[in-house]
Amino acid sequence: MDQRKQTRTVTVANHAGLHARAALLIAKLAREHDVALAVVKDSQAAEASSMIQMLSLGAKQGDELVLEASGPRAEEALSALERLFAEKFYEEDEDAESRG
Amino acid sequence: MHKFEGIAVSPGVAVGEALVMGNEGFRIPRRFVTRDSVEYELDRLDKAIKDSSAEIARSRDAVLKEMGEKYAAIFEAHLQMLQDTRFRSDLEEMIAQRHYSPEYAVSRKVRECAQIFQKVQSRNLGDIFDIEKQLLRKLLGRRREELSKLRSPVLILAHNLTPSETAHLDRRFVRGFATEVGGPGSHTAIVAAGMAIPAVVGTGTFLTEVSGGDLVIIDGDKGLVILRPDEETIAHYRHEAKEHRHLAARLEMLRDLPAETSDGVRIELLGNIEFPYEVDDCVARGADGVGLYRTEFLYLGQEKEPDEEDHFQAYLRVIQTMGDRPVTIRTFDLGADKVPHLPEPEDERNPALGQRSIRLSLRNLPMFRKQLRAILRASVQGDVRIMFPLVSTLLELRQAKMILTDVMEDLTEHKIPFNAKVPVGMMVEVPSVVMMIDHFVEEVDFLSIGTNDLIQYTLAVDRNNKEVVWLYNASEPAVLKLIDVTIRSAARRAVPVNLCGQMSGSPTYTMLLLGMGLRQLGVPPSVIPEIKKICRSVTIDQCEEVARHALTLEHARDVTSYLRGELKKRVPELGP
Repeated sequence: MDQRKQTRTVTVANHAGLHARAALLIAKLAREHDVALAVVKDSQAAEASSMIQMLSLGAKQGDELVLEASGPRAEEALSALERLFAEKFYEEDEDAESRG
Repeated sequence: MHKFEGIAVSPGVAVGEALVMGNEGFRIPRRFVTRDSVEYELDRLDKAIKDSSAEIARSRDAVLKEMGEKYAAIFEAHLQMLQDTRFRSDLEEMIAQRHYSPEYAVSRKVRECAQIFQKVQSRNLGDIFDIEKQLLRKLLGRRREELSKLRSPVLILAHNLTPSETAHLDRRFVRGFATEVGGPGSHTAIVAAGMAIPAVVGTGTFLTEVSGGDLVIIDGDKGLVILRPDEETIAHYRHEAKEHRHLAARLEMLRDLPAETSDGVRIELLGNIEFPYEVDDCVARGADGVGLYRTEFLYLGQEKEPDEEDHFQAYLRVIQTMGDRPVTIRTFDLGADKVPHLPEPEDERNPALGQRSIRLSLRNLPMFRKQLRAILRASVQGDVRIMFPLVSTLLELRQAKMILTDVMEDLTEHKIPFNAKVPVGMMVEVPSVVMMIDHFVEEVDFLSIGTNDLIQYTLAVDRNNKEVVWLYNASEPAVLKLIDVTIRSAARRAVPVNLCGQMSGSPTYTMLLLGMGLRQLGVPPSVIPEIKKICRSVTIDQCEEVARHALTLEHARDVTSYLRGELKKRVPELGP
């Protein structure tokens, strides 16, 4: 579905990086918008639907990622994802809890 | 084939099947399945994934209700990993094409993922191992084998081995140990030496490369762990094993001969033991006594504190087996975290320097008194001696002796027999003791130099920290001088002194120790034949010359190479 593939670049802002919980939220957003989503770090791509692939990226705070979405609602999905990343996956108090 | 280098802490070579200790020590029963059973095995995998998923989903829902979304997310993540289509298709391919058993396939695939997670330093590394555990639990069902119920020989591979874990291994089937962390003097080293099986520690990460059931070689002479060795390597090691057995047989012939130097000076070789059953090994090897009976096993991995009778029976077993030969019982030498009934310590950031051993005993008098009572009661059954560990000040020693006197008075009042003249000694393992040794020798009946800890405290080095473990070296001149000072001070007061660290079981140091004046060595029973051979091959004059020269050297490595050279000269078959 390359015709309708859209991309957006985001930065991992939260302290814990792209861990399991973050991956879950990303996958959920992709499902809700009915898009096929790939997350690319450097040259490595991971399907959002595969938790293991996502975790294998090992994306850390500060890393830049390219999001590639395909489907009719690709634009919408990417905007929502951008917000998700900006909100640091809604991780509150992360400095306190991520100690250790 | 994959080779890993670590620290050789117990000699010998073992070739065999790996048992990889996960959090629960699962063992993979078989690696391959027949072509006919592939369908059946694929079904088993399918069922295991379905059952695990259902269980995780249930947990997730329960946690969601009770604790909220954030905690339920962990279960959701596990579920997603379990349902990952790529993961599953890889597993199916391994079973269908390569005929792996589902257990072996899961183990391999998880290791593969773990390697990647490790490389990227994912904090979800533990989760992938949890998935493995869950799937294996489903696949193995009731056939899950515990470490205490082994049925065939295995080599144990783990991240680390704690005293509690090794306390309950079925020792008949364990042939070797390899751990990712640890150093000389680590628990793994001590247990392996006690069992006379090879061990290599501090290899760094290798568990992600191996699955239970893989063929593995542990080379405790060169400090190598070899995973899935090729034919050539296997042949080489089988040959080495044969050579080893021949040497052992030759040494065995010395069993009934005394450990006497060629100029007629008798050396007492005492066995160090951790468990009562090891006393049989002491007798079999012709030990002159038990120089160190470590009593920690009574507490480890148990749910409640041992009572006086538990202590007494454990001591009795060893004392009766040794007959009239001396048995030195050391009081409790661990921290509170190992004792079942004590609260977890709050501030133990530095356990080696913390509330443990005699310090703990002095703060927990009921526990201490219980042990002392049992030792005293046992003291009428043989030649029993009491030893206090980790003493650092005179005050501590005097307090401990006071408690002992008090317990004696108590026993007298109740007309319970004990040896009122029981010899009381202590470990020399803290440098402060050596500085005050002239005072200490006035107050003890004997001393035991514990070089394992003495080296650590003198050089300020954590023997389990692989970054600095290179500093941990018995050949360090500072350590040798401390030993020398201690021996001289004890000699002036005619106080018997022995050395019971790993150093004394190492052939490299025997001549040095004899030359410095030691006439008693506490060693793991398995090395008694070797040490005896060295004693019988040298004269005290030769040893004194070796000691004299060694004490002038400035670098540990010069000391080691000098000592090795001397050993090779006198006892070529035991040299490096």
